[in-house]
Amino acid sequence: MSDNVKIAVEEWLDSHWDSENRRELGSQAYDERSWLTKVVDAGYAAPSWSREWFGLGLNGRDVRDIEKAFQKRHAPGWGRDRFHLGAITIYKLGSDELKGELLHKLLCGPICCLLYSEPGAGSDMAGIRTRAVKDGEDFVVNGQKVWTSNAKEAEYGMLLTRTDIDVPKHEGITFFIFPMKQEGVEVRPINQITGESEFNEVFITDARVPERYIIGEYNEGWKSFQVAIASERLIMGMGVTARSSGLTSDKSPALLRLARKHGRLGEASLRQEIAQALAYRQLNTLNMQRAVEDIKQNGMSSLMSLGKLSMSRIQHGEARISAKILGPQVLLEDEEDARNANFDAAKAYMNSIGGGTDQIQRNIIAERILGLPKSADVDRTIPFKDVKTS
Amino acid sequence: MSEYSQEDRQAICASFARLLEENANEPKLRELIETRSGFDRELWQKMADMGLTGITIAPEHSGAGGSLEEVEALLEIAGGFLLCGPFIESCVIAPALLLACEDQEFAGQHLQAIAAGSSIFAVAGCGSSGDWDELPDVVAEQQDGHWCLSGSAHFVAYANVADHCLVAANVQGEIGVFLVAMEDPAITATLHKSSDPTQRLSTLSFDSVRATRLAGVDEQAWSGALVNGLVALAGEQVGGAQRIFTITIEYLKIRHQFGQAIGSFQSLKHMAADLLVELESATSVARHAARAIAAGNEDAATMSYLAAFTCADNYRRIAADAIQLHGGIAYTVEHPAHLYWRRAQSGQWAYCSSDRLRDLYLAEMEKNHE
Repeated sequence: MSDNVKIAVEEWLDSHWDSENRRELGSQAYDERSWLTKVVDAGYAAPSWSREWFGLGLNGRDVRDIEKAFQKRHAPGWGRDRFHLGAITIYKLGSDELKGELLHKLLCGPICCLLYSEPGAGSDMAGIRTRAVKDGEDFVVNGQKVWTSNAKEAEYGMLLTRTDIDVPKHEGITFFIFPMKQEGVEVRPINQITGESEFNEVFITDARVPERYIIGEYNEGWKSFQVAIASERLIMGMGVTARSSGLTSDKSPALLRLARKHGRLGEASLRQEIAQALAYRQLNTLNMQRAVEDIKQNGMSSLMSLGKLSMSRIQHGEARISAKILGPQVLLEDEEDARNANFDAAKAYMNSIGGGTDQIQRNIIAERILGLPKSADVDRTIPFKDVKTS
Repeated sequence: MSEYSQEDRQAICASFARLLEENANEPKLRELIETRSGFDRELWQKMADMGLTGITIAPEHSGAGGSLEEVEALLEIAGGFLLCGPFIESCVIAPALLLACEDQEFAGQHLQAIAAGSSIFAVAGCGSSGDWDELPDVVAEQQDGHWCLSGSAHFVAYANVADHCLVAANVQGEIGVFLVAMEDPAITATLHKSSDPTQRLSTLSFDSVRATRLAGVDEQAWSGALVNGLVALAGEQVGGAQRIFTITIEYLKIRHQFGQAIGSFQSLKHMAADLLVELESATSVARHAARAIAAGNEDAATMSYLAAFTCADNYRRIAADAIQLHGGIAYTVEHPAHLYWRRAQSGQWAYCSSDRLRDLYLAEMEKNHE
């Protein structure tokens, strides 16, 4: 069975993909949509899905063989059943009608952006205020979203809206797949403290979304949203394990290089700090390796959720020690080392705030892993319109 | 590589846990720490009968032929019970040194006796600095064709119950290892009151004590044995940390104030979540280092130093915060938290200080990334 799949995908790739020039065989240049359409139609974009919906009904080793065959030839389009959050969510929760209309289009296009956070709803996501009001066969949407990556490129966004303010906050939410390319959707880049602009604000003014684009049920969007973020956390977890391979064999740790370059490796107190920083990195790698073993044996691992906290300590710590190694020279950004140290110090907040702050993560660990009782959530049971705002 | 399958290892750990539940439970521990010796020789014999004292000793010397992986797993169990006695010295470090001895007939007799439980070894590895990787204060000199030891060895664990002691000594600027019988009247042993009641520490003074040198046991063999001891201790610390952490989390669920379980307060939750990171990191690295030693990996020493200071420091932090998280109840001697805390404190200085180990680790990393 397994060998057949492997042989089939390799034959298919060899007759369709030009690995040397990284484009479709016989074409002059790489055309993403054309290539993705071929991969989707062959079933290789989402092999774990059912045959009815662009998949091959495969699992485990067969799926890995397909992904490996693509990776070996540098062919894009694999793993859309793992990484295309919009398509995954529609596949899991969409009606047959919605799947029929959008799934193929989503799989063949760019990834969806995520329209979740708002200026007034960060850690407390159920506090969102973007309104969607029914108007004929559509909903009319008004509100502001924030921290949206890829908002300029995306054709669709996954949109969390408030549809009922007379019920408690978790109960009046509806989740949509939302067309981005329309009037009333304005994307503005956010200027970050690192000097980068990876994220955007999205202003939505009288934009429209068809009722049939609801993901899951009307007013039960919180449940659908949980399914979507579970897929997202899985991807983030995979990212962590993919990055952390090799221990003492990986390239020379940056702090060691920096301290050596600036002649500070002989100082006892600095040695202690550098050693501890290197230790934190290796310990996180070891935890993630253990998580992978756990997942192989038991299908899950609670260690996965510790990576974010570890990574924050690593990144903030390394940035602080880098500055210490440089001394007052860190104030002068003419030098690359100083620029890097200052950039890293700011960038560390991306890990400790992004995707839910570390403080929220500590609550999650305490409640879901250690089984401690949930903190009081004072607005959980009152109608949303009575919830206090800042 | 370990010869044991995962099932074998789990089985031996399960029997060890049952033995300790019956013979080293908290009431028994509290009785034992009030005694002068602080050691239960009957329990030791039962451990020997189960093959545990010979866990690292080869089957040809009547041992169980285990690797550091089994040692680490067993010590996680022992650590949870705050087991008292020179298990690491007598069953991990001493066998490693004896195994490195060129005279295997001489070493074999002792290994057999350790496995049988009839002989207990202490190991004297440091001077008053407490660091086992420094040159010891004991000096060895040859007189009339015999080796003689003079000077003092410090922080010798369970010398008060040992039959023999392996002594690291300064031989013209190099480390050599010597065997002495504890009954030798030229050895003066002073048993101290230890800050950790689950530990017994002595200072040994040697006044021209005749000793047998372990032929071929050089500095490299010494640091190899030390590394085994460090990882064994790391396993014990993981076990202790796991136990006191579990006790603490359970308490946070049942203790109520202001009409709710105190575990629902974020200030305590966040401490608990941070401690879980420390606990899991310690667990991962202790097990990884044990596997690295068992497999003879190149980075075994690096990983062992990393495991040693991580487990020592994280155990201390977890046990210290456990008292704080409990509040008043853990400020009483009747509560076990302080026993774990004291054990964790003493572990900060065992074999090498954490700071010294961190420095050794960095030195290894520098070597790996020149």
